[in-house]
Amino acid sequence: MVSSIGGNVSTNAGGPHCLKYGITTNHVLGLELVTGTGELVTLGGKVADRQGYDLTGVVVGSEGTFGLVTAITVRLVHAAQAVKTILASFTDIEDASEAVSAIIAAGIIPAALEMLDELMIRAINEGTGAGYPKDAAAVLLIELDGPAAEVEAQGERAARICWERGALEVRVAKDNDERALLWKGRKEAAGAVGRLAPTYLLQDAVVPRSKLPAIMRELREIGVRHGVQIANVFHAGDGNLHPLILYDDRIPEELERAKAANEELLHACIEMGGTITGEHGVGLDKAKNLPLQYADADLNFMYRLRGVFDPDRLMNPGKLLPAHPACGEGFHPPRPRLPQGAWI
Amino acid sequence: MGAVTGSVGETLAAIVGASRMQEGAAVDGTFAVDGVLPRWGVRVQTLEHVSRVLALAWEAGLAVVPRGSGAGQELGAPPSNVDIVLDLRGLDQVVEYNPDDLTITVQAGVTAGALTARLVPRRQFLPLDPPAAEARTLGGITATNATGPLRLRYGTMRDLLLGVKFIQADGVVTWGGARVVKSVSGYDVPKLMVGALGSLGVIGELTLRLHPLPDAEQTWLIPCRDAATAQEFVLRLLDSTVQPSRVELLNAPALAACGAPGSAAAVAVSVGTAEAAVKAQGEALGGLGRAVGSAAARPAQGFWSRYAAALVPAQCVELGVATLASKVGEAIGEIERAVAASLSGVAPTIGGSAPLGSLRVVLPPAEPARVKSIVERLRAAHAPAGGGVTVRRAPRDVRVAVDPWGPVETGAFALMRSLKEEFDARRVLNPGRFVGGL
Repeated sequence: MVSSIGGNVSTNAGGPHCLKYGITTNHVLGLELVTGTGELVTLGGKVADRQGYDLTGVVVGSEGTFGLVTAITVRLVHAAQAVKTILASFTDIEDASEAVSAIIAAGIIPAALEMLDELMIRAINEGTGAGYPKDAAAVLLIELDGPAAEVEAQGERAARICWERGALEVRVAKDNDERALLWKGRKEAAGAVGRLAPTYLLQDAVVPRSKLPAIMRELREIGVRHGVQIANVFHAGDGNLHPLILYDDRIPEELERAKAANEELLHACIEMGGTITGEHGVGLDKAKNLPLQYADADLNFMYRLRGVFDPDRLMNPGKLLPAHPACGEGFHPPRPRLPQGAWI
Repeated sequence: MGAVTGSVGETLAAIVGASRMQEGAAVDGTFAVDGVLPRWGVRVQTLEHVSRVLALAWEAGLAVVPRGSGAGQELGAPPSNVDIVLDLRGLDQVVEYNPDDLTITVQAGVTAGALTARLVPRRQFLPLDPPAAEARTLGGITATNATGPLRLRYGTMRDLLLGVKFIQADGVVTWGGARVVKSVSGYDVPKLMVGALGSLGVIGELTLRLHPLPDAEQTWLIPCRDAATAQEFVLRLLDSTVQPSRVELLNAPALAACGAPGSAAAVAVSVGTAEAAVKAQGEALGGLGRAVGSAAARPAQGFWSRYAAALVPAQCVELGVATLASKVGEAIGEIERAVAASLSGVAPTIGGSAPLGSLRVVLPPAEPARVKSIVERLRAAHAPAGGGVTVRRAPRDVRVAVDPWGPVETGAFALMRSLKEEFDARRVLNPGRFVGGL
């Protein structure tokens, strides 16, 4: 799979390394944009301090609805001196989640902190033979990078934390080949679920990290309620879930059940203080879910903001912002109350 | 508007309570903006207060200047008019602290000092360290995009603000962003509130990303024979695997103000991480220093507080010069020459984040025409590389004589003007202070 920098900018893309390095917007210094009115504008640039509104910041993640991004200036980061990868297996996903919290509470911000749940582990073990322990109900992949001495000290501490939280096994990669092996299962996760079901809905939602055990319980219950299996592989460090809702597209009502489970899952994430998309964007499908997270006043602001860049609403119509019955002016916020008074 | 005056006061008193509203001759000096007293001074205590005051101002066509601690009131052009000054310091509640998620939601009037006190027991912090931050409100730090040396490692408010509740010019309470560390749902509205001087909305509540305090931290000073050598050291450092928290370049007057040993220039570097790694990176810094003929030394305790104080004397003109890491040495020479040409006998105090090309220049109060000629000369020198010069702090007469922001690229400015027109067509919010008179 490949992605272009323009696509990353458009969706404000993330990935496994965000906990430490931030998302796309944190690295974009400037853009060249053709707005909805056909004007070519230069926003930001190589110099860090700029005057005026942060237009670069608001164009990143606008999913092509403000205009076409034609050039991008990014800040680069020096490659790290050392990398250390640790794989810890647990018999209980709650222990694994606690290990995640304890690692961060210890002041360690890993470059990646990925988790696989029981169903996913089974699919991977049967598929690629990554060799995760058979009894594992959660696998945690921890990657640290930075100055060698820092990686060494923090790696030891992270491994110790995993043991303290009841890890079944902790493996530390000794070289690049071993690193690749530890990542192999994670990287092939999406393919491995093919062993369990012919099709899946891949979701992208976020909960506060401390709510990981609660959302995992909730996902199990949602799966049971709708008669679907849900496999999980996610960026545990920032609470960014990627549930794979498995179904068989040859059976017509299975897709409906998967979709119902999907909607319920998004509601559950919002209930826990999360968000409906962490890194893949709103697009067409989730535009209808945006009102779960934002009130009419908030959506009205976004609608008008889009109009500043693209007054005729020609760019990528239907993406990101939900359609509204009142179309056009939509999303009227309630007006503030003023006291009864004779000031007018 | 004269006929309305009395009843605007009554309405304001009905909104916030008579004891929190001052009117006409009774308005006290603490409400003054650039020496001008507003017609009404209002101390709000809730977001609902802000919403209703703004709805009133919107209907009556009154100009509102929001304020926190007042530390940033010398940023930007003087307001074109001031009817109501809205004191937000009463919004001082921590709404929700989630230490396990490294996030906190606070009202805009909470000071950075109060936040630190809340976070230290959990060994967490908000890595924003503008000079004299302790007394400043987080709403003010956001609206003025105030930064300090730690921005090198942790970024600015742009990178730490996850969600924001703000009140639009017509009083509508609006929320943007999220309460989690990663979200891309909807437009990234919080970005519009950072550094906007409240001109698109009054900031009411902020959700912030926190960081763990490093286990250990040390600072080194690398004295250099000139600014060019200091720049060379910085470029070598950037090309190494050392991960510093702060890298500030200081000229001789800045070093003197910090009580550091005299040299033409120096680079101050701090590293914060696991203890063994601090030591190892210190050794690497020593090697990089020797490569440019310098010896890294440890400054006396409290260096960073002395440095912050050096950059905010009681009365001064402060300029921000934006350039590139590969041009900071040259920029310092240019600044010193520009100042010498207009103010004989004055040596500017210069500091700033060298890797980001973000320099601060502190001058004693001076005649507006002389400051103007310095700023114009520097703008002409930096424009070709895309750099700029802003007046970040100065007495009113200086900011009348010199456009404090300088030019903004035409196409980008057209969009900024449309934004202001869309969200504050009646020019209620801080009119005239932002770029291009917005």
